[in-house]
Amino acid sequence: MRIALCSSFVPFVNGGYRNIVEWLEAALIENGHEVERVYLPEVDEPDLLFRQMAAFRFVDLSAADRIICFRPQAHLIRHPNKIVWFIHHLRGFYDLWDNPMYRGFPDDAKHRGIRDALRAVDTAALEEARRVFANSRVVSERLSRFNRIDSEPLFPPVHRPERFRFRTMNDEIVCICRLEHHKRQHLLVEALKHCRSGVRLRLCGTSAGTGYSSAVAQLANDWGVAERLTIDQRWITEDEKADRLGDCLAAAYLPVDEDSYGYPTLEAAHAGKPVLTVSDAGGVLEFVTHGVNGLVAEPDAVAVARAMDQLFEDRAATRRLGEAATARIAEMNISWSHVLERLLA
Amino acid sequence: MKVLVVNNMAPFVRGGAESLAEHLVKHLEIAGHEAELLRVPFQWEPATRIPSQMLMARAFELQNVDHVIALKFPAYLIQHPSKTIWLVHQYRQAYDLYDAGHSNLPAGQAGADIRNLIKNADDQCFRGARRLFAISDVTQQRLAHYNGLHADILRAPINDPERFTGGAPQGYIFAGGRINAAKRQHLLVEAMAFASKDVRLVVGGPPDTPGDARLLQETVERLGLRDRVRLELRYLDRQEYADFINGALAVASLPFDEESFSYVAMEAATAGKALLSTTDSGGVLGLAKHGETGWVADPSAEALAEAMSAAWIDASRTQELGAAAKSLWESHQINWPATVAALMS
Repeated sequence: MRIALCSSFVPFVNGGYRNIVEWLEAALIENGHEVERVYLPEVDEPDLLFRQMAAFRFVDLSAADRIICFRPQAHLIRHPNKIVWFIHHLRGFYDLWDNPMYRGFPDDAKHRGIRDALRAVDTAALEEARRVFANSRVVSERLSRFNRIDSEPLFPPVHRPERFRFRTMNDEIVCICRLEHHKRQHLLVEALKHCRSGVRLRLCGTSAGTGYSSAVAQLANDWGVAERLTIDQRWITEDEKADRLGDCLAAAYLPVDEDSYGYPTLEAAHAGKPVLTVSDAGGVLEFVTHGVNGLVAEPDAVAVARAMDQLFEDRAATRRLGEAATARIAEMNISWSHVLERLLA
Repeated sequence: MKVLVVNNMAPFVRGGAESLAEHLVKHLEIAGHEAELLRVPFQWEPATRIPSQMLMARAFELQNVDHVIALKFPAYLIQHPSKTIWLVHQYRQAYDLYDAGHSNLPAGQAGADIRNLIKNADDQCFRGARRLFAISDVTQQRLAHYNGLHADILRAPINDPERFTGGAPQGYIFAGGRINAAKRQHLLVEAMAFASKDVRLVVGGPPDTPGDARLLQETVERLGLRDRVRLELRYLDRQEYADFINGALAVASLPFDEESFSYVAMEAATAGKALLSTTDSGGVLGLAKHGETGWVADPSAEALAEAMSAAWIDASRTQELGAAAKSLWESHQINWPATVAALMS
């Protein structure tokens, strides 16, 4: 089958939004399909939104037998065999509308007008699709609440998950993701100050600007925890990632109200490691249940520190949580064979 | 600097410009820039939808990009304050092919309107560009003729010059590249019947049609040349192709009225091989100079045979011609560092 994978992108910005597309591409090619990856730019600026949406309507992919659309506003592309694997809305106009900090524009008549028109267009474009999948239950619920669209949660697997294996358990909790404020590495660093055990922390990742990463390093110095902390400020290779996860004590992933469980959670689980997260991490909680396959702390430094100490001190329990995390993957049916079966149905 | 290369995408079809764009990205990175490729889908049938796809290209917004290098219509219509156009070609069916009666634009006023629209958009886009380069003399001439604009010529370098190291001649003349009637490999085979019995010929490359392959095979049989002509009628892996060039006594390239130097001639000159061409081969004659860098024969089997024999009989002279071809090629300064510098200027 000739399949076009369509997504919007920001040039030079990498992240999970590209992984879901490119890993699916690899899986489809492995299964004998012809794939064209269509990345089109989009800027989420209210005043520029509708002309860009018109551009998406003009995209002609009639040469494809089927298209699969990911990041907005790629779902606006027209095609008789349109499948949408929805990963998020333009959230400022949806679930973050009531949050002035994340919304980024005023709640006035103009922006309410844009919001309502955008929602109407999204709904119409999603209704054109043969099937709509969501990458998490959170996103599926939003589609239902805001667009009255029924969608099936379809959890994105990681690329070649067999790369991640349990090897040993050292003293380190690792956090491998972009180094950004909304990923809350600062909370982990602050927690180190309250830890009473010999637990160590390793942060791996890069940030868009230099502000946050240097602030985190500064915090570590201010609180005198720099000796128990390693900051690897770069995009580590996939092999290094497999090594870090294979050898660590546990993984930490503390995003603010994430849309899905996030690849860091899944990668840790493949390596037999539990994830430490927080109660307001959103989609991560679809995967992690406190005391079953990971730990869910309140989002404050003392509570996070207590959880870190617990992972360090009761290693047998930590190992059991990690095994349960691996089992959770199969329980949620997170696999490429399932993804391909559903997307090509 | 963050440089976005913008090219067309004909979904599920790969052409020469795609490879050019990928190599441009690679060499921008080698020069220390961050580079990424944006491929804008373009479907030119039905022609009545061309205007909406032009609008599409114009309506996309770019952020996080410092400089754009755009190659083809309509992708080059994308808006950016720092845009350099390296024109591979315009939409020829609105220009020279329109005049020649080979256009897919509708007849009558509708076609004339689309043609004007394309020309006006081109005029505005080219005039607003930071720099405008044409990839060949023909492209430059068309721009001058139809749009009244001057563009400097910036020829496409060889994508992988490091493979063409040269080497000891193994006694054969090599004709590489796509095989079809216009490239006239059959004329070389016929010439072998008249050439010195010591001369051997290798023809290697993918035939455009089964008929092109059959013509060569039948000619070899008819003239009883099996011992002296080797036909490798298939797509050659790049290194295999380079090995044939590197081991050749001389390299033949006799396309009819070629627009450019032709990749085969450029690669042969890089490897320091004497060139064999014909008086009607157009752009190739920029590199193939009779008695200086090789032989330029009349396009007849007898004349070509004489040149082939000469290449064999005075092998040291042939090597001198090859060395001269290499210096002539190098004097053109067509290499990636110079190309990247021009496109970033």
